[in-house]
Amino acid sequence: MTGRIWAIARVTMLEAIRMRVLWGLVVLVVGSDLFGLVLGEMSIRDAERVARDVGLASASLWGSLTAIFLGVFLLYTEVQRRTIHAIVSKPIDRWEFVVGKYLGMACVLTFAIAIFGGVTLLVGGGVLGGLVRAIVLAWFEILVVAAIAIFFSSFSTPFLSGIFALAIWVIGRLTPDIELAAQAGSSVMRAIAGAVLFIVPDLHLFSPSGRVVNGTAMSVHGDFVDWGYVGMAGLHGVGYIAFLLALACVFFQRRDFA
Amino acid sequence: MANAIDVNDLRKTYRTPLRRKKIEALRGVSFAVSRGEIFGFVGPNGAGKTTTIRTLMGLIKPTGGTAKIFDHTIPSRAARARVGFLPETPYFYDYLTIDQLLDFSGRLFGIARAERTKRAGELIERVGLARARTQSLKKFSKGMLQRAGLAQALINDPELVVLDEPMSGLDPIGRKDVRDLILELRERGKTVFFSSHILTDIEAIADRVAIIARGQLQAVGTPAELIRRTVLGIDVTVRIAADADDELTKTATRVRRAGDELSLTLPTDADVDAWLARARELGARVVAVTPRHETLEDLFLREIAEAEASPAATEGRV
Repeated sequence: MTGRIWAIARVTMLEAIRMRVLWGLVVLVVGSDLFGLVLGEMSIRDAERVARDVGLASASLWGSLTAIFLGVFLLYTEVQRRTIHAIVSKPIDRWEFVVGKYLGMACVLTFAIAIFGGVTLLVGGGVLGGLVRAIVLAWFEILVVAAIAIFFSSFSTPFLSGIFALAIWVIGRLTPDIELAAQAGSSVMRAIAGAVLFIVPDLHLFSPSGRVVNGTAMSVHGDFVDWGYVGMAGLHGVGYIAFLLALACVFFQRRDFA
Repeated sequence: MANAIDVNDLRKTYRTPLRRKKIEALRGVSFAVSRGEIFGFVGPNGAGKTTTIRTLMGLIKPTGGTAKIFDHTIPSRAARARVGFLPETPYFYDYLTIDQLLDFSGRLFGIARAERTKRAGELIERVGLARARTQSLKKFSKGMLQRAGLAQALINDPELVVLDEPMSGLDPIGRKDVRDLILELRERGKTVFFSSHILTDIEAIADRVAIIARGQLQAVGTPAELIRRTVLGIDVTVRIAADADDELTKTATRVRRAGDELSLTLPTDADVDAWLARARELGARVVAVTPRHETLEDLFLREIAEAEASPAATEGRV
């Protein structure tokens, strides 16, 4: 089983690293990080602090957009190009195919975030504990977003998948604000908000900077969440990834490849 | 011993997404393929050949009926592990080389690395792609892709080889190579199930043939069983000057002239001896006299015409 999944992951990685858009995004993020450094020099605040903020924001934003872009085409193009015919006709289960595609994409995204994170650490004043934890949280977030994209890709076109994935990413990032708004609204609003918050992953969990956690204001430049928090957030992310992949497998299993 | 393929009342109905119209692609197809035979599957475009094959390979779920490969219900992994499949107009990851494609395919079958490498080398030579080993599949011609497809279909040394239009895109030399390959597979005890539009290829190598039209089987059997042995006409070829053949062509059909050679078909009730005697009187030299029997193409056209004419032909249409 692992051999088959890994075989799919390998070719997925090979395909992904050939995508010019991916490398364009990497250059964009690295450029953003360096621009953050320039901004820092121009600001009255600590240059490295500004660079860290810009770097983390870029990594999270562009990393998530990269995950959406890769993910929405992942399964769709296999079906459209009919490359799947010569694969699924071999002794590989469809769920192994879906998991293999996700794994390949996750490896590419991990490599990308390693580059983003590395540049952020360089321009942000070196390896600071909080900064490393923030990068790891951003990595988890991107992997969850990738799972969201691949879930939609299992039954929808890239355009619609992209719209849905982007919408969920935005909603997931705004969960505290939605909670707050719902409290002030009617019971219907609260019920709807409750349902949305139940379904949508809490992506805000992966960017605690600026929030109050256990009575302490979190900042990547000072007091930041500990590795225990990172572990719990990671578990939450892995749980959602498993759930989304399982659903993607169910949808993919039911498809006809005519 | 179980058959290589057993198909029983296989059905596939599609519904168009919004208008909910029904399209019956397969309407109760039943046949069996014995181990060790070459089984040809023919039909016009849209008959259901590829739908049948894709159902066997687990790409499409049937709406009804059953199908088994070596007694394993499709699309179980046990069934697919013993099959090599060449899709119609095969598509592969075009950034791979032929070696990488075969390595990838071999991994999916769980073949160990050393064995994968050995088989890949042998198959690349066998399908005539040795010179293209360093090229990516993106640079392959259609015929080369077809050969690559054949190679990946054989990487697991399958007991059953399913080929959907294997001659597609090949020149006459390529087609002969594929025919020879199919015959080789049978010599090695493999079973081959293939679809084709090229009836002469099917007739040349298939042990048994099935003709499908409008989602239903029209005929199954050996070519000898299916083709009527009655004589359809007498094909005659003579050499004679063009201005002297008017009398000779009066009762003939399929008249063709190439230079001084005249070819035609006389009806079965013609007095051939008398015709030949008259032709000699007019200065002709006889080249060939051959009784014309029904060919697979004649059978195919006859069955399709009957299928089109039957009341059931109007069922299941959009």
